[in-house]
Amino acid sequence: MNKAGVVLRGLLLATLFAAATIGARAQGEAQQFPVATKTLKNGMKVLVQTDHSIPNVALYIFYKIGSRNERPGTTGLSHFFEHMMFNGAKKYGRGALDKAMEASGAANNAYTTQNVTVYQDWFPRSALNLIFDIEADRIQNLSFDPKKIASEREVVASERRTSVDANNEGLLDEQLWATAYIAHPYQWPVVGWMSDIEHWTMDDLKHHFEMGYAPNNATMVVVGDVTPEEIFELCEKFIEPIPQHSPPPAVTTVEPEQLGERRLVVHKQAELPLLMIGYHVPKTNNPDFYALNILRTVLVQGESSRMYQRLVDKDQIALEVSTTQQSGFDPLLTIIIAQPKQGVDPQKCEAAIFDELEKIKKAPIADQELEKAKNIRLVEFYQRCGRSMGERIPSGRTKCFLATTAKFSMPRKTTRPSPKKTFSAWRKNILARTIAPWLP
Amino acid sequence: MSNVLRAMRFPASAVLALGLAFSAFAQTLKLPPHEKVVLKNGLTLLLMEKHGVPMVSLAAIVKAGAVADPVGKEGLASVTAGLLRKGTAKRSAQKFAEDLDFIGGSFAADAGADFTSISGEFLTKDLDKGLDLFSDALLHPAFVQAEVDKMLAQDIDGVRAAKDEAQSVALNYYYGYLFVKHPYARSDGGDELSLARITRDAVAKFYEANYTPGSTILAVAGDFNAVQMRAKIEQALGNWSAKPNALPAVPAPSTVKGKRLLLIDKVDSTQTFFVIGNVGTAVNDPDRVAIRVVNTIFGGRFTSELNEALRVESGLTYGADSFFDSRKQPGAFAIYSFTKNESTTQAIDLALQVLAKLHKQGVTLEQLTSAKAYIKGQFPPSIETSTQLARRIASNEFYGLGDDEINQLEARVDAVTPAIARQVIEKHFPEENLVFMLIGKASEIGPAVQKYASQQDSRKISEPGFWPPPGK
Repeated sequence: MNKAGVVLRGLLLATLFAAATIGARAQGEAQQFPVATKTLKNGMKVLVQTDHSIPNVALYIFYKIGSRNERPGTTGLSHFFEHMMFNGAKKYGRGALDKAMEASGAANNAYTTQNVTVYQDWFPRSALNLIFDIEADRIQNLSFDPKKIASEREVVASERRTSVDANNEGLLDEQLWATAYIAHPYQWPVVGWMSDIEHWTMDDLKHHFEMGYAPNNATMVVVGDVTPEEIFELCEKFIEPIPQHSPPPAVTTVEPEQLGERRLVVHKQAELPLLMIGYHVPKTNNPDFYALNILRTVLVQGESSRMYQRLVDKDQIALEVSTTQQSGFDPLLTIIIAQPKQGVDPQKCEAAIFDELEKIKKAPIADQELEKAKNIRLVEFYQRCGRSMGERIPSGRTKCFLATTAKFSMPRKTTRPSPKKTFSAWRKNILARTIAPWLP
Repeated sequence: MSNVLRAMRFPASAVLALGLAFSAFAQTLKLPPHEKVVLKNGLTLLLMEKHGVPMVSLAAIVKAGAVADPVGKEGLASVTAGLLRKGTAKRSAQKFAEDLDFIGGSFAADAGADFTSISGEFLTKDLDKGLDLFSDALLHPAFVQAEVDKMLAQDIDGVRAAKDEAQSVALNYYYGYLFVKHPYARSDGGDELSLARITRDAVAKFYEANYTPGSTILAVAGDFNAVQMRAKIEQALGNWSAKPNALPAVPAPSTVKGKRLLLIDKVDSTQTFFVIGNVGTAVNDPDRVAIRVVNTIFGGRFTSELNEALRVESGLTYGADSFFDSRKQPGAFAIYSFTKNESTTQAIDLALQVLAKLHKQGVTLEQLTSAKAYIKGQFPPSIETSTQLARRIASNEFYGLGDDEINQLEARVDAVTPAIARQVIEKHFPEENLVFMLIGKASEIGPAVQKYASQQDSRKISEPGFWPPPGK
C-alpha cells in the first residue's frame, strides 16, 4: 500500500557492507563464519561457506563487467547480455537451461549493475552437478540466435518501461546519474537508453561476450549444504578447463571535479513530488567508505535517525527519507531520497536536509549515537548469517570490490566517521527533483 | 534503478500473501520441535528453539485484520497497528524509537485482511529490553492525538504516492472490483477518503475491542532456552487482562458470474498493467497442494505456461504470472502481466488462450514431475530463519493448520496425479467467468479492450479511493 519500495531499496543497499562496519564492541562475542577460498588455474576465484541447516545451496558468479564497460550507442548491453546468458548454449539449447534447472528443483535469476554482472542459482544440493554443467556450458559456448535476440529486445524494452516510465524513482535516479557524470560511464543507465536497446547488433553482443566472460574476470561464491572439497572438485572438472583470456580494457576515464551545483527539474504527471540529492563519494575500496556507511545509518536508518526525526516526525514535510549507496570500482554517488508530502514544496525538504547535514558537519556524532549505529549494523550482520540463500553472498561483492579477506568475521576496527574528513568527500553538488502535480 | 534484474518479482503484496500458497517441501526437512502453551489469560504461546545466530524473533497475530474495519473507516486496523509504537504509557514515540534503535532491534506492526501481524527481532543479549519494548507497544499504546494525526496524514499521502506506480496499486483495484461489497474488497491500508474519516476515538475503540490475550497468538523462535523464555513471556504478557471479544465473522465471497472489466485511466502510461481472474480458494482448501502444483505449471515460475507464452516466446512483456492469494475465506485468483500500450489486446488474448489451453489440454506428466521437483527444491529456504519460522507457526496456528502442513508436504505434493490435476483445473481455475482490471492509457487502449466484457467500468487513477467509487 505505502510506497515501501523506496525505503526498502535503501535498506537493502545499506546492508551491503554492514559486515565491514561492525565495531570493536562485538569482539568478545565475535563468531567466525569461515570461508574456504581457492583460485583456479584459469584465474577464477572461488569462495565456499558450509551451512547444513537446510539441504539447499546458493551459487553466485560475479563477472567484473557492467555498464561502466559500455560506450554510447551500446548502453544497456551488459544487462541485455545477462538476459542472453539464459537463452541457449551448446549443451543446453534455447529454453533448455531454465527447464532443466526448474525440473531439478532449482531457480535462478541474475542482475547487472554499473560494475558487475551477477548470476544467481538457488537449488537443492541434489542439483549440484547440473548447475556446474550449465554454468560451464554457457560461459564457454553461448549461442546467439537472431530470432531470440529480437524477442529478448522487446522483453528488455518492457522492463525499461516498467522500471523507468512507470516508476518515478527509477526515472529520477536515471536523470540524476546522467547529470552527475559528464565524462565517466556511470552517466548512462544500466538498462540502457531506449534507442540503444533498439539498435545494438549481434557483433556488439559477441564482442561483449569475448570481452567480459573470462574465468579470470569472475568470482564464484557458494554457500549452503556443501563442503569446500566437493565444490573445488566440481570446479576442477567443469570450470578449470575453460581457458582464460584478457579481461575488459581498464576504464581510464576519471570524472572531472564538479565545478558547481547541478540542479535538474523533471516535469511529469504525478500525485506527489520526489526529491533526490546526490553526493560524489569515493569508490568502495576507499577507507572512508565505511565511515560513510555509519554516517548514513546515523542520518536515515530507523525512526530515531536524524533525518527521520526532522523531516518525517518533527517538521512533517516528508513521507519518508532514505539513502542509497551502490558499490563500485570508481567514485560513486550517495543519494538521499525524500518523498515530500502533498502540498509541500520540495525545497522545504531540501532545506531541512541541508540543515541536518550542516549540523552533523559542525558537531561530532555523540558516543551514544555512534554506539547505536554500530548496534544496528551488528544486527544486520547476524540477520544475514541466519540465512544461507543469498544474504551472505555479499562476501562475493566484498571480494570483488575490495579484493579483501574472505572471512565472514566481524572486523575489529572501530571506525568513527570524522565529519570534517568525510564531508570533504561529500561535496554538495547535485540536486534533482520532480515538480508535481503536473497540471493537465 | 542501478540494479537491473533478469526476472521480475511479484508485486510485494502478492508475494507476501502468497507465502503459504507458494511453498512445498523436502522429505528430510521437518519443522524444528516447538511447543504450544496457553497462558492463564488466554494468550496462545508457541516456542521454538533455534540456535546458531544469537537472535530471537517474535511474531504475534491479533485475530482482527482489515475485515474488522467498520464500513467507511477502512484502514482502521492498519492505522491502529501502526500507532502501537507511536507512544505508550511510559514512552513517547521518539523514546520508543531511540530505545529500539539503540539495541539494533526491529518492531513492525501491520494489518492484513485476516489478521494483524506484530513482529520484533532482537539480539539474545538484549532480549529483556526487547521484550519490554514489544510488550509495551502491544499492551500499553497511548494513541496520542498528535501521533494519530501524523500517521493518518502519512498514510493518506502514502496512498497517493503508491498511485504514481501502477504496479503497486493494481491489486487494490482488482480486489475492490472482484469482491465489491465483501470485506476482502478493502485495501488493507484504506484509501484517501476512508483514512480521513478515522479518529483517535475510533482507533482506541478498535484496540479495546480487538486486542485481547484471548485473540492473540505469539510465536517466539531463536536462540533461547524454552523454559526460561516461557517464564519471561509470562512475566511480560501474563498480566494482560483477559476480556471477551467477538471475532469478525466473514462470509465466503461468491464467485463472479459472467465477465466484467474495469479500466483505470493513467494518462502518462506507456504500458498496460492487467489482472484477470476470479474468486480463488481458502487457505485450508482440501485441494491446496494440488492447486499449488498446477499453478506452478500455469503461472508460478519462470518456465510456466504464462511466462513462456507472454515473455519467452513472444517478448510481449518482462513477466507474466498467476497466483492464489488464499485467505481464511476464499481469496483471489489472479493472472498478472503488463505490456506496451500497442500490444495490450495481443497480450491479454494470449493470456486467455493459455488459460483456455489449460482447461482443454490439462498438464502433462512431464510438467507435473518438474513442478513437483521445483516446489520441493525451493521450499526449504522459506522456513530457514527464526523470523520465517516464527511467522509460519503463528499463521499455521491462526489458520488451524497442523505441523503436517509442512512435514507431510513432500508426500502430498508427490501424491498429485494427472487425474487430480484435471479435477483441480476444472474446479479452481476460472474459464468463462472472468474479472478484468486494467491500468493504462484509456485514450489509446479503451476502445480495443471493450471486447472482453459486456459490463464495463472506468475511473481515473487520480480520483480518490480505489473501487467501488465513493458513495457506491
